[in-house]
Amino acid sequence: MHGARDFWKRFSRNKGAVVGLAILVLVLATAIFGPLLFPTSPWEMTGAPFQRPFDPEFPLGTDTLGRDVLSGIVHGARVSLLIGFVATLVAVIVGVILGALAGYYGGIIDDLLMRFTEFFQTIPSFVFAVVLVAIFTPSIASIVAAIAIVSWPAVARLVRGEFLTLRTREFVQASVVLGQPARHIIFVEILPNAVSPIIVAGSLMVATAILTESSLSFLGLGDPNLMSWGFMIGAARTVIRTAWWMSFFPGLAILLTVLALNLVGEGLNDALNPRLSREGR
Amino acid sequence: MQRLQFIAQRVLKGVVVLLGIIVLNFVLVRLAPGDPATVMAGEAGAADELFLQQLRKEFGLDKPLHEQLVVYVKNVVTLDLGFSYRQQRPVSDLLMERAPATLLLTGAAFVLSLVVGVALGVFASMLVGRWSDSLITVFALFFYATPIFWVGLMGVLLFSVTLGWLPSFGMYTVGANLKGAALAFDVSRHLVLPALTLALFHMAVYARMTRASMLEMKDQDFVRTARAKGLPESRIVRVHILRNAVLPVITIAGVKAGYLIGGSIVVETVFAWPGIGRLAFEAVLQRDYNVLLGVFFLTSFMVIAFNLITDVVYSLIDPRIELGA
Amino acid sequence: MLRPIVRAALVAFVVLLASGASAQAPQRGGTMNIIISPEPPTLMLGINQTTPAAIVGGKIYESLLRYDFDLKPMPGLAKSWEISPDGKTYTFKLQENVKWHDGVPFTADDVVFTAKKYLVETHPRSRPIMQRAEDVIAADPHTVVFKLKEPFAPFIMAWEPSTAPIVPKHIYDGTDYRAHPANQKPIGTGPFKLAEWVRGSHIHLVRFDDYWQKGKPYLDAIYYRVLPDASARVVAMETGQAHLSAFADIETFEVPRLKALPHLDLTTKGYEYLAQMVWLDFNLRTPPMNDRRFRQAVYHAMDRNFIKDRIWFGLGKLATGPIHSSIPHYDQNVPKYSYDPKKAEALLDEMGLKRGPDGVRAKVTLDALPYGDVYKRLAEYTKQALGRVGVDVTIRTADVATWGDRVKNWDYEMTHQVLSQLGHPALGVSRLYVSSNIRKVLFSNVNGYSNPRVDELFDQAAVEVDDAKRQAMYSEIQKILVEDVPVAWILELDFPTFINKQFRNVVTSSIGVRDTFADVYMVPQK
Repeated sequence: MHGARDFWKRFSRNKGAVVGLAILVLVLATAIFGPLLFPTSPWEMTGAPFQRPFDPEFPLGTDTLGRDVLSGIVHGARVSLLIGFVATLVAVIVGVILGALAGYYGGIIDDLLMRFTEFFQTIPSFVFAVVLVAIFTPSIASIVAAIAIVSWPAVARLVRGEFLTLRTREFVQASVVLGQPARHIIFVEILPNAVSPIIVAGSLMVATAILTESSLSFLGLGDPNLMSWGFMIGAARTVIRTAWWMSFFPGLAILLTVLALNLVGEGLNDALNPRLSREGR
Repeated sequence: MQRLQFIAQRVLKGVVVLLGIIVLNFVLVRLAPGDPATVMAGEAGAADELFLQQLRKEFGLDKPLHEQLVVYVKNVVTLDLGFSYRQQRPVSDLLMERAPATLLLTGAAFVLSLVVGVALGVFASMLVGRWSDSLITVFALFFYATPIFWVGLMGVLLFSVTLGWLPSFGMYTVGANLKGAALAFDVSRHLVLPALTLALFHMAVYARMTRASMLEMKDQDFVRTARAKGLPESRIVRVHILRNAVLPVITIAGVKAGYLIGGSIVVETVFAWPGIGRLAFEAVLQRDYNVLLGVFFLTSFMVIAFNLITDVVYSLIDPRIELGA
Repeated sequence: MLRPIVRAALVAFVVLLASGASAQAPQRGGTMNIIISPEPPTLMLGINQTTPAAIVGGKIYESLLRYDFDLKPMPGLAKSWEISPDGKTYTFKLQENVKWHDGVPFTADDVVFTAKKYLVETHPRSRPIMQRAEDVIAADPHTVVFKLKEPFAPFIMAWEPSTAPIVPKHIYDGTDYRAHPANQKPIGTGPFKLAEWVRGSHIHLVRFDDYWQKGKPYLDAIYYRVLPDASARVVAMETGQAHLSAFADIETFEVPRLKALPHLDLTTKGYEYLAQMVWLDFNLRTPPMNDRRFRQAVYHAMDRNFIKDRIWFGLGKLATGPIHSSIPHYDQNVPKYSYDPKKAEALLDEMGLKRGPDGVRAKVTLDALPYGDVYKRLAEYTKQALGRVGVDVTIRTADVATWGDRVKNWDYEMTHQVLSQLGHPALGVSRLYVSSNIRKVLFSNVNGYSNPRVDELFDQAAVEVDDAKRQAMYSEIQKILVEDVPVAWILELDFPTFINKQFRNVVTSSIGVRDTFADVYMVPQK
């Protein structure tokens, strides 16, 4: 309890983080409860096409087929967050395992794993994601997989770094001397001590994942059965001259969500890593 | 000697990675469903088996995969990137045609993001806590969070549709047939929006990085010493802080230059910029195997080259770098 | 009292003006900027018949005939033609003094070479037509005679540039047609020849001074501008940077805005030969699509007026059956499928497909046609429309290759398709419904429709010489098919062609913008 209060104190010192958290809670609430308020499918052509916004029936206007833009944004929140979180989770799991193995064992295993990681880091990541999704045809699974594949190397390097330092600590050395199995040492002894930077990196990665998903959808590589923000902007790209609202509002939704995640990530960094934050790596 | 060894090592590593990329991309694309012969035949308006076989034979699609791979690697090494059956032309020609446009776009965006980003970062660090610092910080936060294609579209909306200041697409004015200085001016007008769009995200990154790095440097011992010696503040900033703070930013920028090429797919799509990014997207959608492999090879090559140059330049500027790391 | 007179005078005045304008003699000179998208892979029409290649290549290569808006043949490289009463001998008299772009005279030998050797080797669509000829003879340097194995009425429809481009024998005979360097520097008989091709930017055609129609073409040059971006194309037309757009260059929702511009003319003519139709295809091998009532229900569940007005912005006509209304032997006396969700639900109930607790009767996947935004929207609409009657649709998207693979391997449940009917039911329609064409090949009878009576009628109609008998057969075919709904025909597509008013005589045939443009001229600006 005491820890939690301390944590909040440090977190709330960062005003931006508090604002970010508020926005994030709002977005999460929209994702969870929004579809209850807008039970109609966001694909339903409920109005006339090209209706301008600020109309009592369609506050954010309608799109080229007469679909409600507001409803699309509300339903899209769920898709964007889901893809962002799941892709990050997968990337973190893969990254933690590979990074932990490399950092714990060192030597040739470390060398091989890091060459492997570097290889994936060298490939232009967005180009790679585009190819993966295009080849395995766009679906929520292929999108999540593609984002995870281009994101895990950063986690692996981070975790490896943490493990390299923690590996030399006394309590770890003690476990090794006591003959504890490697699996135990990695997951029970070392990993919990490396959790803070992973959480911080993870929260920032969710933001990046959402941006990547929206770019893919924008290029027409989204899941065709899911309404997402990137899809809305991509579909409205060609009508930008006549219908600004179709791309403006979904873009704003992405902006706010990603901004909120970044701010929260920074707040977490301040709260979890009281030592100097490592900017930009 | 040590430096040469270092450079040789880096080049070797680059080559290995490049080979790996060739193999990876080849395997990936061939794994994909879809028979390219069907597409070609479909475009011809009809497709019978005889015609399909003719096409497969013509483009070597009837050989076993490993043979296709061996041939491909051999060809790439001799800079023969194959033939695009969709465009009926050698892939290397297609890439060479599109490369200048992309280099112009990414080059402009790179310089713009680095110069303006660093300048904003330095500026903000000198005015910590003032409103202009806050403004720059908020600017950076926003562009760090904005999808690049949306920035582009909003730019089009504001500067092309509403204000009518800048063209919204392409690299030249259609049908104008300009020459010389007029052409250069025309292209630069077309370049402004896409380059700015591509640069803004990275500008935000570099501004934040520079600001943080500057603030960190201010508290370093050598700066305090300089201050104690009574050196004027402007000189301290210029000579001591700036150099040391900006160097790591430039390194990161070199490494991140590869991301600009990724971003160029989206930006070139938004602005109909006739470069490699758009070629890549067209190739992906049309499943033009050889073009796709060619684009990958080229973009990866560019990224590796960029990293190599950064490494080398950095080793020249900063003698403290651990060679061989 | 005065009014009728005034009106008459006004009418006379207007008529005078109009005739004055049209009587104005076409003038030499001028350059036309035309939108082309996507960039054609090659201009050699013999090896590539995509629309962009046909548009540009159609200025360089010619065929024996052209076709007016009612699909009646007009002279091309052939100045006259004759069909024997038994329908087996076609005699074409060729134009004289025709030269290839390299100065060599064009003769009947070129036509014989093209029909007998070249097209049979390279042109998948032309091959089966040319193979119907038992022999092709050059009776004299300006007469070609085709002797068919059996009568084939649509034979006369196979002579437009992208179906049968005439190629020079002196260049291609005895060579590898596909790899010939002349494919990069095309040599035809058309009014324009290739000057320069800057890939990714433009194709520059210039006037061929030795063109066989003296004094033509009127234009000095044509620039085809490659503009892959839809919004770029609209702006180019708006600002006058480009003078002509066709096919899907202009997105449907932009049409009303461009139509209102004073410097642009809109026409939807010039697509009668192609006669494109879009339909919803059912794989008849799998339930519930194998039940006719299901297909009828789906047909009734679609509000095709919505599709026409909201997705195609009015550019199209509701299809009534398998044959496009501009194609010969079209018959409108067939059962109609109006928008009637209640009837759809009744049909589904009758089949025993009841709604489950989640309101779903059946789950079906729909492969969206990967041809751009309009088809994406069509898929999205179809999903919603069928969802309303309890048919849950999952959309699959893919690139063109994957889509093509799925469809040709019969690995789909429903998909949209769009195809040209090529001037005659025997050329463009029967291939989709006869059981002998159930093959693992795109644009064949992929959905597996099989009806012996339909097979028999199509076979007889193709070789029938008597017009009335042939019409009766095609009418019966249409009735049977519309009752069976092997596919649900959605729309006959209209394409908007925007023409800058400075240019006249642009669309003069059912070949439209793919025609030679020998007659196009520019009016000087005031």
